[in-house]
Amino acid sequence: MSDPLRDEERELVERAKRDPRQFGALYDRHFQQIYRFVYSRVREQTAAEDVTSEIFMKALKAMPRYQDTGRPFAAWLYQISVNAIADRYRTLRPSSPLEDFHDLSIAGPPLEEQAAHRDEIRRIWALVEALPVQQKTALVLKFQEDMKIEDIAVAMGKTPGAVKLLIHRGVSRLRDEADSLRPAE
Amino acid sequence: MSMQHDPELDDVLQDQELMHLAGLLREGRMSDPPLDDAFRSALRRQLMNRAWGMGGGGTPWWQRAFGPAGLAWAGAAAGVVLIAAVVIFNAVNPSTGGFNEVIVSSPMSDQSAVRLGQPILVKFNQPMDHPSTEAAVQITPATTVSAYSWDANTLAVLPASNGLAPNTQYQVTIGPGAKTASGQLLSAPKTITFVTQPPPSPSPTPSPSPSPTPRGVLTGQHLLANVQGGISNVLWSPDSSTVYFIGGKSALDSVPAAGGDVTVIVPDGVTSAAISQAGDQLAYIRNGKIEILTLGSATTTEVAPVPAPLVVGWAKGAVEWTTADGVYTQGAGGQVKVISLPTIGGVSTVIVISLSPDGSHLAFFQDQSLKVLDVATGNSVALGVPNAQFLGWSPDGTGVMYSGPQAVVTSDLFGKSITTLPTGAPSWSSLDEIILGSDADLWEVRPDGSGLTKLAEGTFQFPVWAPNGTAFTYFRGGALYTASAPLPPPRPTALDAAATVVNAFMQARKAGQLEKATALLDDNGKKVYSGSSPALNLLVGGDPSFSRYYLLTQEITGTQPDTAQFVVRLVFSHEKRDVSTYEETLTLVRTEGSQQFLVHNSTTGPVLTLGKGAEVVSVEVSPGIVKITFDSDLRAATVPAGVIILDSKGKQIGATPVYVSRTVSISGLDLKPGKTYKLVVLSTVQDVGGNNIAVEYDLTFVGPDASKAGDKRQSESPSPEPQASPSPTPSS
Repeated sequence: MSDPLRDEERELVERAKRDPRQFGALYDRHFQQIYRFVYSRVREQTAAEDVTSEIFMKALKAMPRYQDTGRPFAAWLYQISVNAIADRYRTLRPSSPLEDFHDLSIAGPPLEEQAAHRDEIRRIWALVEALPVQQKTALVLKFQEDMKIEDIAVAMGKTPGAVKLLIHRGVSRLRDEADSLRPAE
Repeated sequence: MSMQHDPELDDVLQDQELMHLAGLLREGRMSDPPLDDAFRSALRRQLMNRAWGMGGGGTPWWQRAFGPAGLAWAGAAAGVVLIAAVVIFNAVNPSTGGFNEVIVSSPMSDQSAVRLGQPILVKFNQPMDHPSTEAAVQITPATTVSAYSWDANTLAVLPASNGLAPNTQYQVTIGPGAKTASGQLLSAPKTITFVTQPPPSPSPTPSPSPSPTPRGVLTGQHLLANVQGGISNVLWSPDSSTVYFIGGKSALDSVPAAGGDVTVIVPDGVTSAAISQAGDQLAYIRNGKIEILTLGSATTTEVAPVPAPLVVGWAKGAVEWTTADGVYTQGAGGQVKVISLPTIGGVSTVIVISLSPDGSHLAFFQDQSLKVLDVATGNSVALGVPNAQFLGWSPDGTGVMYSGPQAVVTSDLFGKSITTLPTGAPSWSSLDEIILGSDADLWEVRPDGSGLTKLAEGTFQFPVWAPNGTAFTYFRGGALYTASAPLPPPRPTALDAAATVVNAFMQARKAGQLEKATALLDDNGKKVYSGSSPALNLLVGGDPSFSRYYLLTQEITGTQPDTAQFVVRLVFSHEKRDVSTYEETLTLVRTEGSQQFLVHNSTTGPVLTLGKGAEVVSVEVSPGIVKITFDSDLRAATVPAGVIILDSKGKQIGATPVYVSRTVSISGLDLKPGKTYKLVVLSTVQDVGGNNIAVEYDLTFVGPDASKAGDKRQSESPSPEPQASPSPTPSS
């Protein structure tokens, strides 16, 4: 059974492959999520703009060679993004504190509980930053970008099994790190 | 604290503690990063410049070949190319005589929306003998060819009748008579198949996709006032001639919209202001009191409500205000409480935000929720997600705007969202256009999300429309400016709105999405499709399979309420070939409230077998003329007696049919709205191959209603009258 959104995307991709001037529609559709992903990794606006420009320029150039593998087009953009960010990391390290970026509003429990919960989340995400790059990327794509494992596999150039392993190892390591940081009761 | 369950992780994290951590990670979504809209626009421009440089805009070779100059050179060039090709080919293949197998392909093969002006392209894997190959071309449905042209090993076949027929499946066969340049015959006939797009609509409506290029230059841009310390309320007089604003030191000032000196009305302390619907009085709150200024006489009266007023407005010509505990108005004997504001445990927790322009509703914040209160009934509804921000009212007070995630949401006063719009500071005009201002640019969009157009680039903070719907104010660099926007593009006609619903309905059925299709039926429509008629199933399938559909006719047949009738043809295929078809006649009615068209009724016609003579593929109905397009070239002599229109009494009407390029036009009609007519195509009509139409074709249609059918602004727009015309939407 076909998915109209996927069909529509496929149509946009086909058009852009035939005529690069049609790439604008794909840019409009995916700019926000790619920029957001890039920003979350480089955490500096100018750097995020540079990397995002590079990603879309590369995507436009590579468009005629794009092959539909049945996965969302975004997975391919994430693949370019992951590589571009990796290149960037070789010369630039993120410097801003993570607390500025992972936030949420929680309805219901008393304020002090909300604050404690929020702190716990921030702490966990701060630990993510210390993970090995591959584990960190897999976790960010899964939990922040809400991607399916098969799409993460495309983005990271790995098999779904390898991605599962990275997620398992990453979350296990977070548990160990969190335990070691937890004050003794 | 909710933690969404992700089944994908069940076999990855088989431990409660790990799942808990996964839940925390999922909850800690990143907040929106800082984004410069100017960067986003600039990058898009850069990409588009690069894209243009990459090509894709060149003229196709066949267009050059069939162009006036190209045709003149074609004969000479073809001779030279042929000689050169033969010489080169013989040099390269001196003894073998060529390749073993001839492979025939086409870039159009299996496409579902081939353009009508496109020649039929047939590509061979080796040089072909042109005369024998051209002679071996067979086209179904019957098509007269006006010219053949070659580009290397690709043959372009140009149909004589002004391009290809719409909504038609073509089967183009290269018969076994075709020879390669070396004289080898085709081992077997090769067929390519494709489907053409619908005919172009004579009344195109604006594209629903965003237009990133500024549509036109704003006019009359000029400075109204330098405002130190920012600006809060901006009010326009009802005649759009004067702008009132609360500026620095909370002073209430006015300035002519055409430009001029700023007049200080109240020097300080004004916290809320509202102009009466008649424009003759200005009410404002100052020092805990309401002052009402009559503009003509410059006299002021004072109301001292208890408790202190927070927001002032006007309702039915009388001043209205809110306090922490309720909404009040001024009665003959003093203040009258219209309604109490909701409390939690008897304690007022309401933060009052704004009274609607007609004073009938109040936006307020309570318990992290944005709510709208109906002042008459006291009922309130929550808008959007917790902590949504109020962004404004529609001028008639029936719609509201609030912030959603990265979006502006438009909604009715019952909390039912209409659509989400791009983010920006919005203002809703009397002509039902919303402008969205920002530090980077200014956009215009309809409240339903259609017609998104960039008006200008630059800083346009807090735009506020004038009542005339063309002028607006905005804030830039510590000053208040005004400008006029160009008239917005025509709105979709009622027919286009209905066609959009029909397309969504048919696409959902084709995709097997029962729920989506059912959502486009009204109560009667649901009964019809769940009734006893076996042919009227929402989901159609099996073998032959439902491969495509197209709109044969579309008409507005009534206006109160708007009613449209569509004849939709469903096409069924077996092994890629269209084999049968039947028609459904859908009646759509625009519903009150949501103003959406829904399918109200449906009837079905008999199943017809395809491939036996010419078929009608498009019928365009207007009061004075009916145009019937066939998929085949016809023998013109068989048309006058074979294509007729009958009125409801069975009497033939209209002038003698005129046949040009597959289309039969019957003029001299005076079709009455709502009356039933019948198009009859007799089996005496023949295609150019001499094949008669297999069975007589009858199509019942209704006289179109050419009166205005649509929305509030249609009478002011240059949009053409609604016409019966097939939609340009690809149908598969």
